[in-house]
Amino acid sequence: MNSPRAQLSPTEKAASVTLHIPAPLRQYCGGESELALQAPSVRALLAQLELRHPALYRCVCDETTAVRRHINIFINTNHIRDREGLDTPLTTGDAVSILPAVSGG
Amino acid sequence: MSDRIVLCIGTKKGLFVAESSKTRRSFALRGPFGAGVEVYSALIETRGSPRIYASSCNPFFGMKVLRSTNLGKSFAETKAAPAFPKDDGRALANIWSIEPGEGKKELFAGVEPAALFHSENNGDSWEMVASISNHPHARQWSPGNGGLCMHTIVRDGKRVHLGISTGGHYLSEDGGATFAPANNGVGAGFAPDPYPEFGQCVHKIARHPAVPGRLYMQNHGGWAEWSGAGGPRPGIGVLRSDDHGHTWKSIAKGLPSDFGFPMVVHPHDPDTIYVVPLETQTRTCPGGAPAVWRSENAGASWRRLASGFPKKDSYITVLRDALDIDELKSPALYLGTTTGQLWIGRDGGEKWECLFDSLPPIRCVKVAVA
Repeated sequence: MNSPRAQLSPTEKAASVTLHIPAPLRQYCGGESELALQAPSVRALLAQLELRHPALYRCVCDETTAVRRHINIFINTNHIRDREGLDTPLTTGDAVSILPAVSGG
Repeated sequence: MSDRIVLCIGTKKGLFVAESSKTRRSFALRGPFGAGVEVYSALIETRGSPRIYASSCNPFFGMKVLRSTNLGKSFAETKAAPAFPKDDGRALANIWSIEPGEGKKELFAGVEPAALFHSENNGDSWEMVASISNHPHARQWSPGNGGLCMHTIVRDGKRVHLGISTGGHYLSEDGGATFAPANNGVGAGFAPDPYPEFGQCVHKIARHPAVPGRLYMQNHGGWAEWSGAGGPRPGIGVLRSDDHGHTWKSIAKGLPSDFGFPMVVHPHDPDTIYVVPLETQTRTCPGGAPAVWRSENAGASWRRLASGFPKKDSYITVLRDALDIDELKSPALYLGTTTGQLWIGRDGGEKWECLFDSLPPIRCVKVAVA
């Protein structure tokens, strides 16, 4: 997966989306279960997250800006890996979900 | 006045804290803190107001450092955990060691991939120590079975000793401004050259403050039967240095195996040391009969301490930070196994008793009189 560090094009149009936060991560964004963000793509959304909620961002992405291995990002019901990864465009009204993978033992 | 024994037990499922009076007759357990998340390192800082630190290595959400200011009754995350600079290209995978610095608020953390971090504010912010983290050798170190980790930090004034698996022993004699490999006599079994300049799989380094020039090392042994390039390398697993780590010699003679992970020095006798020999292939105690081995003459000879341990059918493994010793007049050892047992070795290891037999797999054990 590519780095989410943002390179916003002036022609990109930001969409108003809702980012859903899983319960274990709400402590890093003031207890909010969802955040209203405007971004044209998943990559730009994560860049905004880094600016507004850096502690939450660090739980989602590592120092190289890669999305952590066991984190999945969905747009509505679609995993971004099945679309265009971090370059998947966002549409106003989209629900973006951060979900930890069900793994381990 | 100190009147409690505090034990920190880092496990696969979080940190447990056990507490006892100085009689050590019974321990009360609480936790897990950082529940469900693996804890590879802990520190009980007794200088000033006591604090406990523990790494919390969350495979989902990244690395955190936990801190308690009430001797382990509760924990909270520090404001930040060690993190590589954004342009570095490395990402933190684990925190293997947390050690105190010179100042009461100062901490060092050894991490995976192998690098050193420094905090001056009780772990609320961290700076990478570039002299070792960006050492010209750093990109040539390679991971051992546990990962490429900096697991041992031993400070002695301006001298700083680091143990890296697999990188070897690195020594600074200028307070950490510069580091150089110091592995003369430290063997490696997994390379054609039995004594390379660096790249050894050091498992643990220990010292006693009363004899600062002497260091003990548990290295990756088990190469006595090797018949490939470079020939056999007997006894490279248990070593001693008498010149601040510049040269090392084997003290493995008399042990059933020179493979093992932890190495502990008696708090009141620099000549008394403890190791837990393991079979090379299985990394379990030889013959299924657990024992800690003690030398009272700096490694010249060894004695098996097994009273109280099962005599058979017990294939335990003890990892590098899962053995510690308290500082009471007659000290007790504390030994954690990867199968979740926490043992106490009373009277310097003469008599062993299982304190807790069903904890999650144990990664580290730290004890303090607080």
